[in-house]
Amino acid sequence: MTALLDRMTPVGWIGEPRLLADWPGLAGPIDRPRLLSYLDAVKLTGRGGAAFSVAAKIRSLRSGQQPVVVVNGTEGEPASAKDTVLLTRNPHVVLDGAAVLAAAVDAGRVRVAVIDPAVAEVLHRAIGARPDAGRFVVDQVPDRFLSGEARALVRALSGGPALPPGRRVLPTDRGVDGAPTLLSNAETFGQLAVLVRLGPHGYRAVGDADEPGTTLLTVTGAVANPGVFEVPLGTGLDQVALVAGASASQAVVIGGYHGAWLPPDPSIRLSRSGLAAAGGTLGAGAVNFIGVDTCALGELARVTQWLAGQSAKQCGPCAFGLPALAADVRALTAGQAGPEVAYRHAAMVAGRGACAHPDGAARFIRTGLSVLADEVQRHQTYAGCGRPVLGQLPLRPGRLA
Amino acid sequence: MTTHLAIDWTRCDGHGLCAAVLPQVISRDDWGYPVLNQTHHSRLPAPDLTRAVAICPALALRLEEPIRSAP
Repeated sequence: MTALLDRMTPVGWIGEPRLLADWPGLAGPIDRPRLLSYLDAVKLTGRGGAAFSVAAKIRSLRSGQQPVVVVNGTEGEPASAKDTVLLTRNPHVVLDGAAVLAAAVDAGRVRVAVIDPAVAEVLHRAIGARPDAGRFVVDQVPDRFLSGEARALVRALSGGPALPPGRRVLPTDRGVDGAPTLLSNAETFGQLAVLVRLGPHGYRAVGDADEPGTTLLTVTGAVANPGVFEVPLGTGLDQVALVAGASASQAVVIGGYHGAWLPPDPSIRLSRSGLAAAGGTLGAGAVNFIGVDTCALGELARVTQWLAGQSAKQCGPCAFGLPALAADVRALTAGQAGPEVAYRHAAMVAGRGACAHPDGAARFIRTGLSVLADEVQRHQTYAGCGRPVLGQLPLRPGRLA
Repeated sequence: MTTHLAIDWTRCDGHGLCAAVLPQVISRDDWGYPVLNQTHHSRLPAPDLTRAVAICPALALRLEEPIRSAP
């Protein structure tokens, strides 16, 4: 992941872009009650995957101590590049959103956490050109999938290891250095800036009635134009396939490697409710088309192995369960086993760790086995499908192929 | 939900003592780690739960009141 690669990441949009358009800046500050009323009116949720209400987060900030605002720009998810693209192309939309929020909640510092030194460099330059430069600190955290997990990040920014803690502590209660902390994904702050600029009415002009506005998608896999696209929430998968130039697909993976495999149904709507209806999750907006030319089970096996490698190995069920699952999926790709053991192991890791890594990994594997049930059968009968594993699911952060 | 057992998975080493003292609600997975029967274990009398907490050599068990779940 470098600035050079980012410049090579194509961007596009359906309808009018907001986050990816030239950013004119904000007129001035906004007070807390007004900001909350705006957030409530459009039900803005975090864009990192958990989709928690931003207004609820603000309301649950512990009082009595000055809060800290954290912009999570880590994006350790290899299938996602949207935050990196947003932070490097349009840093001020994110920084303005963070600054206006920090002022509304009387926060002190805004910490901007990234993994890639090239992104940190872009941010340093952007911040240096702002009158409120003193408000921001850019932090670099280790290059791991888990570095971006909210509580792991809070720990890293407090001087500890970038690992999820064993006890459930809410960052809004005790976050960075023990202070109440409002942490959200980089895109969330960009959306907040757009909301403050347009007002709730203007913000609602596009998107779904229940989920207004736009979202960033990172589209990869069997497509002619992989890249980051800004689309109205609720856009159909068929439209995304069209703008990205998707070829014939046997499946789609939506929500990244904690997300879900789904049949490539063109009527899937890209919103939280649309994905919930399809049995998936929008996650951080990663959309991957699995072409008909690759061995899909081999793709699943490859990512399962990667997920096992990303375990922090703090928690037994994850440390032992994910490598077991990687072996299970390898065996069934080789036609040497049925899916039963993998299903059993997936059920055994879900919900049994300090963070959501085992849960997300289990969902990815379970839905993969379900969508690829015919493939599993074929591999058992013929010891394979005769197709190569093309590596359509990216494994290196910032590289879309 | 009432008071219930919470496992700190970063501490648990799968010694299995909790499953030995509360076999009716704690079993062990393929790797020896405890599997808590979520619906049944919180109905046990508090002294039973406390015994499991006290016997864990890794200090990985604690009694917890329900908390809000937010990121």
